[in-house]
Formats: sequence, C-alpha cells, structure tokens
Amino acid sequence: MSFFTVLLVSIVAGFVGAMGGMGGGVVLIPALTLIGVDIKQAIAISIVSAIATSSGSASAYVKDRITNLKVGMFLEMFTIVGALVGAAITLIAPRQPLFIVFGLVLLLTWYALFRQRNEQWRPVAHQDKLSHWLELEGSYYDQAADETLDYRGARAYFGGPMMFGAGVIAGLLGIGAGALKVLIHDLVMGLPPKVSTTTSNLIIGVTTLAGTSVYLAAGYVNPGLTAPVIVGVVGGAFLGTRLLVHLTNARVRVFFLVVLLILGVEMILRGIGGAG
Amino acid sequence: MVTERVQVAKDEAEVRAIRRVQSGESDMEILIGYILQVGVLLSVAFILLGIAWRWLATGAFTLEYSITGMNFFEFVLEDLRQVALGAFRPRLWVNLGIATLMLTPYVRVLASMIFFAVVERNWKYTLFTAFVFTVLTYSLFLR
Repeated sequence: MSFFTVLLVSIVAGFVGAMGGMGGGVVLIPALTLIGVDIKQAIAISIVSAIATSSGSASAYVKDRITNLKVGMFLEMFTIVGALVGAAITLIAPRQPLFIVFGLVLLLTWYALFRQRNEQWRPVAHQDKLSHWLELEGSYYDQAADETLDYRGARAYFGGPMMFGAGVIAGLLGIGAGALKVLIHDLVMGLPPKVSTTTSNLIIGVTTLAGTSVYLAAGYVNPGLTAPVIVGVVGGAFLGTRLLVHLTNARVRVFFLVVLLILGVEMILRGIGGAG
Repeated sequence: MVTERVQVAKDEAEVRAIRRVQSGESDMEILIGYILQVGVLLSVAFILLGIAWRWLATGAFTLEYSITGMNFFEFVLEDLRQVALGAFRPRLWVNLGIATLMLTPYVRVLASMIFFAVVERNWKYTLFTAFVFTVLTYSLFLR
C-alpha cells in the first residue's frame, strides 16, 4: 500500500471521526485492514494516533473550563490499568475474534450514540458519600444557554470499575472508546453531556498512552505507517471540526450512525468469514 | 454587633479562600491545556519535517524501519543521543514526533500531580495522579 493511500484513509477517518464527535479509530482500523494492514498493526497505529486526536481536542476543552479535571483524574486510574490488560490480550489473541469483537463494539457505540439523541440531562438529586469525598462536582458556563450550570457527579463506586472495562476495550481494539466512556459518565455518574464528552477526551489521552506502551514494546508500532496516519488523522479531524460548525447536527449524526452500522456489520462478517 | 462583624470577616475569608481555589484550578486548566496543545503541534511538526526531508532527499515519502527491542525510555534516550551528536535525518525527526506525542499525556499527568501537591495541597488527588503516573512509568518501561 502506498504512502498516499494510507494518508488519504487517515484523513477520511479523522474527518468522519470528528464529525461524529470522536477520534478516528472506529473508522481507521476497518479502513486500514481493508487496504491490507494486519489488524494487530492497525490497532497499534490507531492507538498512537488516538493520543494525538484526543489531546488536541482536550486542550481546547480544558482551557474553556468545561472538562472536569477531578472526575477525569479519578477515572483515569481505572482506564489505564484496563488498557494495559486489553493490549496484553490483543498481543496473544487470534485475529478472527478481534474482528468480531471490534464489530460488536462498533454496534454498541452505534447504540450509545443512537440513544443519546433524544436524552435530556437530569441533575443528580442525591450525591453518595464516596462521590462527595472524591469532590466530583463542578460548574461550567454553557454558551448556548448563556448560563452557568452547576452539577454533581454520583455513583463513583460504579463508574470506576465500569471505566476499567472501557479501558480494556480501548487497549484491546486500539480505539479511544469515547462513546462508551460518555455513556458511563451520562448514565452512571449523571454528568451533563458536555462535561461527559470533554472529560472523556482528557481520559483518552492517558488511556491510549498506556495501550501504546504495550504495542511499542511488542514492536507493533511501525513508524513508516504511523507517520502518515498521525498527520492524516490530525489533519482530517481539524477539517472535520471546522466543517461541523456549518452542518446541521441531525444530518451529521444520521450520516455517522449509518457509517458506524455498516462498518460494524462488515467487521463481524469478515471475522466470521475468516478474513483475518 | 461583634459577633456579626466576626461573621462578616469569616465570610470574607471564606470567599477569598474559594477564589484562591478557583483561580488555582483555572491555572491548572491553562497549564494542562498548553501542555496538550504544544505537545501535539510539536509532534505533528516533527513528523511532517521527517516526511518532507525524506521526500526531498530521495523522492520517496515512505520510511521503512522498525522500533523493536527497546522500551520507551531507551527509545527516547537513543533519539536524544542522536540529537546531541547532531545526527539529524528523516528517521530521527519521525522518532522525535512519536516520542513527543507519547510524552504529552505523560507530562500532563506529572504536571497535574505537582500542581495538586504544591499549589492546591490536595493530598487525595496528589495520590490519585501519583498512582496514574506510577502505572504509566511502569508501562513505559515494558519491553
């Protein structure tokens, strides 16, 4: 495969990923395997590029003070251990099940985004003792509503262990698993959607670093492929974010949901068909 | 009267304390924001430089080599040794890009840990970030 094929695939992955409000991994890995990259190598390259996309967008959100640093740094303890476990499993796993699990996670992400469409955020009525002790609360200025929103996080005892699971998936499949993290923030911990997404971005940076270290040590990070992928994904995400401003939300979501569904089913079929 | 005045003074002290904490937190947010931004931009710049140099020197874009048999810190030290020797070449720039990218979240965690310990004096979160830092350091020593 040529340099430009890889670059183009990465730009498209970063672009589509950004429009769906996530990193490029969910599009990048299926696309790389389609142009002939081994799935384990695709996972390793994708997880390196996820450090770039997540840190890039996290920098803006952190400065805007929407990200909740304490929630992020508490949950990171769980995701990094999960990512190490997940990456270690991938190193020894056969390839076909990886395709199937990847497809299933894409469908789960699809579901997570789908149900997110019509949900309204409700503030946490009662904060448990642990979450209070962990200082999981905050406020941020919501530009759209022109008001400062106060919120409290809850059920940290549940959110932490679930984040371990999200970390395993991130390390296993080389993706940020942002949609799953957002789902846990929303459903389990009761954080407002904007805080969920931006905090998940912060967490993804260290989670994917933990995963990357395992793949680097195993020699799976091929610099010749990684270089165009990082440049392409970051560039594509930059373009996607700029374009996103000009598009209606509903149309973007429908487009992204269709892409996810197709990729998810396709990966499962390839896993079953033995295309590993 | 007196108790009221004491109360007012207490309130004011509390407001000042809250402000201090708030401004402290926003300092940390600015610091983290810049670490992430500079890290990603530098990394992409290094990689682009490596690719461009490779193209100018050989007419090809692709670099073919592998990173094996070393942990992250050995990888960084080897790159820094070459920088010190002035042995710049496309491959070194790409390596520096990957190393910078991996160092970005690592430095972010280190900076947060120091900030929680020194500025905010929040032992709980100093401990949490120290745990994250330790696990990451361990994993970067893997080979």
